[in-house]
Amino acid sequence: MLKLHDMFKVYRTDEVETVALNGVNMEIDQGEFVAIMGPSGCGKSTLLNIVGLLDNPTSGDYWFFDENVAKYSEAQRSIIRKKNIGFIFQSFNLIDELTVAENIELALLYHKMAASERKDRVAAAMDRMGIAHRAKHMPGQLSGGQQQRVAVARAVVGNQPLILADEPTGNLDSVHGQEVMEMLRSLNSEGTTVVMVTHSAAHADYAHRTVNLFDGHVVTDNTRAA
Amino acid sequence: MTWNNVIIALRNLRKHKVFALMNIIGLAIGLVVFVFGNLLVNYEANHDANFANANRIYSVGSIAAPELDVGVDRINSTFMAVGPVLGTTLSDIEYVSRSMAEEYLITRNGDGFYQQIRFVDAAFFEMFDFEFLAGDPKAMDSPSAVLMTESSAIRYFGRANVLGETVTLDNEFDYSVAAIVRDLPRDTHFNSSVFLAADFEVVMSIKALGRMRDYDLAGDWNNLALNNMLYVQLPASLDQAWLQSQLDAVYERIVPVDQREVTAGFYVTPLKETNLAIWDTLGLPVIEVVRLLSLLVLVVACVNYTNLATAQSLGRSREVGMRKTMGAGRGQLLTQFLTESVVIATLSMLVAIAALELIIPLFNAATDKMLVLDYLGTLPWLALAVLIVGVGAGIYPALLITKATPIEALRDTARKGRKGSRTRSLMIGGQFAISAFMLAIVAIVFTQNERVKETSFEFPRSEVYVLNRLNVDDIRERLDVLENELEALPRVDSVTFSSQVPFEQNNSTHDVARLPGDEAGKFAIQVMRMRPDFLETYDIPVLAGRSLDRNNASDERTVGQETLNVIVNELAIQTLGFASPQDAIGERFFDLEVPDTVAREYVIVGVVPTQNITGLFNSLKPWVYWYQENIVRVGSVRITAGNMSDAIDDIERAWKRVIPDYPIQGRFLDDVFDDVYNILKLMNSTLAGFAFIAMALALFGLFGLAAFMATQRTKEIGVRKVLGANNLQIARLLVWQFSRPVLWALAIALPLAWFAASLYLNFFSDRIPTSIPILAVAGLIAVLLAWLTVAGHAVRIARANPVRALRYE
Repeated sequence: MLKLHDMFKVYRTDEVETVALNGVNMEIDQGEFVAIMGPSGCGKSTLLNIVGLLDNPTSGDYWFFDENVAKYSEAQRSIIRKKNIGFIFQSFNLIDELTVAENIELALLYHKMAASERKDRVAAAMDRMGIAHRAKHMPGQLSGGQQQRVAVARAVVGNQPLILADEPTGNLDSVHGQEVMEMLRSLNSEGTTVVMVTHSAAHADYAHRTVNLFDGHVVTDNTRAA
Repeated sequence: MTWNNVIIALRNLRKHKVFALMNIIGLAIGLVVFVFGNLLVNYEANHDANFANANRIYSVGSIAAPELDVGVDRINSTFMAVGPVLGTTLSDIEYVSRSMAEEYLITRNGDGFYQQIRFVDAAFFEMFDFEFLAGDPKAMDSPSAVLMTESSAIRYFGRANVLGETVTLDNEFDYSVAAIVRDLPRDTHFNSSVFLAADFEVVMSIKALGRMRDYDLAGDWNNLALNNMLYVQLPASLDQAWLQSQLDAVYERIVPVDQREVTAGFYVTPLKETNLAIWDTLGLPVIEVVRLLSLLVLVVACVNYTNLATAQSLGRSREVGMRKTMGAGRGQLLTQFLTESVVIATLSMLVAIAALELIIPLFNAATDKMLVLDYLGTLPWLALAVLIVGVGAGIYPALLITKATPIEALRDTARKGRKGSRTRSLMIGGQFAISAFMLAIVAIVFTQNERVKETSFEFPRSEVYVLNRLNVDDIRERLDVLENELEALPRVDSVTFSSQVPFEQNNSTHDVARLPGDEAGKFAIQVMRMRPDFLETYDIPVLAGRSLDRNNASDERTVGQETLNVIVNELAIQTLGFASPQDAIGERFFDLEVPDTVAREYVIVGVVPTQNITGLFNSLKPWVYWYQENIVRVGSVRITAGNMSDAIDDIERAWKRVIPDYPIQGRFLDDVFDDVYNILKLMNSTLAGFAFIAMALALFGLFGLAAFMATQRTKEIGVRKVLGANNLQIARLLVWQFSRPVLWALAIALPLAWFAASLYLNFFSDRIPTSIPILAVAGLIAVLLAWLTVAGHAVRIARANPVRALRYE
């Protein structure tokens, strides 16, 4: 599904050059649940951003399905993104001015889709995440766990085949964190590919495969038998 | 999608109530000023549409010759001799008519009113289709017919159906009411707000003037009065340019050489713009200034909005990042943000319209105009304005906020960094430049006006009560009695009569020279015809020689007399080439005005200081004062300082005893001065109003931006405090951040203001010596205002606990 070949990402400021990814090679197949781990500053988030087509690598190739997207423009990436990828962030990134339902609907807003179909799919996603009774609430009125459930609903409502989660449990207590992990697991069991950055070994255990990064390199890549 | 954007926009407004309120109010103020300014300008520039032939009627004005030196370039009237010439020489025109406004006492059954009457040619009624309620235009050709408007008929008779009734002019000439017409609307040049006393009320044939004062119907080349008009109606096939070219030819052919020093040519104005031409005769571009300033205020309001919205939108970086992550294109996001600013502009316009609906009736009542916010006609324009303002003001923040890549946006780098801060400084500077520019001009105009006022105190303005309209034979015969009665009053110091009083804008000149018939050495001298005690009444000292004497025959100007003793001012002495006042005593100069009659010789018997008799914007001119009884037009009663209203009562009673058949027409010299000075004051208060609004908006914007920037720098401030900066240093840091744009704004605005103000100053011959200190003060005020505005925030932020500041991130 995804293939990264000899990928570098270098950040340059006036005087300092920081190598965030230093020749990463990695392949992810459809249906996998991958946890990316590593200390702060090892390049996890950079990798996730590139995988999520939010950013381009400095050099190297990136095959997304059969396209080499490494040099795509933001406009081209945006098209692929909205068809294929759902995002979950540590800080939820819900829009404060929109209700729960509208926040979820946002993920469909930039697709060509009839309003009635959007409503149906939003309702289905809310049911699934157990937040239907909060549909008209504003994000500010919800607990952190509930907010992250909204964010997960938003990530899945578009039925994208790939979900990228950047420390989805980082801002949650352990009970709510576990809840979110259960959701990711069940999504994965239904066939969605999940790539997750996490600090927590316990949460990494939900994944089938753990990739460890250090200073921009892949140092270990372990796949467990299911 | 779009509706969704509107809903998000409205929710955003609700969430950020204070910002939203500032945005909407700021923009609404700008829109009120802009829409109102344009309504006013369009109103003044589009008059007389009620006349069916309005598009084919033109008025003819005169281009003032430079020698005339009256401070204006164009005068909306011509010599009355021009009209008949056009009628006979230009066969292609349809109609020509003059209209001369003169004041007469109209009485009916003993009750009298002084009334401006328009004396017109017969063609007047062919050109202008008045709505006749009774009588008909044909009857108006008679020299003893009078036309009244409905309301003036009611004023004189208490009712409107007065056809055939009689009124008496100046207690002598009877006229019969031959027509009643419906009142004209306010928006006709006949009711111009520039000539307040000259509403369209009573009309007579010009032949009536012939009957009352032997007026030559062919017209004259003597009098260029602003209330006199000349109208031409063209067939549909001919246009303004044609008429202008014909008039240029006529000028060359018929205008007498000595009148070319008064008029340098004719100019044609379409009837609908004639009201504007009358405004232009003021010599100050009032209408253009209103148009420009209302646009500038809107620009300040828009910049203000842009600035606040930019600052605010940076707080929404994450939202943009999230939307982009989910595949929103930049175009879609731009649409979203522009929708928001158009929503705000729409709300502002609604607020503005509501405000205008309150302001316009008040304004109409106060100024007797009929401005209307005609929704049907203006709605497309208002909508266009909303769109331009919304998109214009919103495009920059929209572009800025949607430019970031999704990752930058999610990380909220824009907020932490200095993104767009240069542009924001530019905008702050820009709006400050505009408002400081206005403020500086106001200061200069104010100082100049004060100087005009200051100089005017060389005459005892508040102690002289002026009696008008004494040039009626009937009254003139009784002046000596009146003088005795008035001088006997306990509160009256002295009484005198003259052809004009100070500050009256009359220019009566004679061409004179040191040698008889010396055309090369001739110059125009202003003439004051007076009784000798004029000098005493006005405290004018005699520097050399003597005053004039009523009992000395060669001191009084009479018909056929060859030598006349006169008094001149010092400037006349210099112009004539005498070394000193003493040297000039007993010397002579000669009149070149009437070469075909007796060559008059003037003997200088006294010299007075050079005073600015016409005052105001006029230059100092050479004057001659001579004693002449039959040209007396005004009286000056000098009142002993004290209880003025008792003195006026005394004067009115004395007048009633002596001249019971004419109502008194008196007012203080102060009021004569105010006739013109009020226009200058109006100019300044208009400017000041605009400047105040612009400055308030700019400070408003600065305040909002300071609030935002302060939160943005909270962390920096915390760090600085931890490292030992004290409150004062922090406050200074924040204040300085805003001082820089303000300072460079001043560097641009003040020179521009200096330039613009000099256009106003050029109008005056006695100018303030330098405007630089005034500019400096205006600049200082602007900077202080800016500091005060941001200082509050700066102090509050500076005093906050550093730990809280650090935790903020």
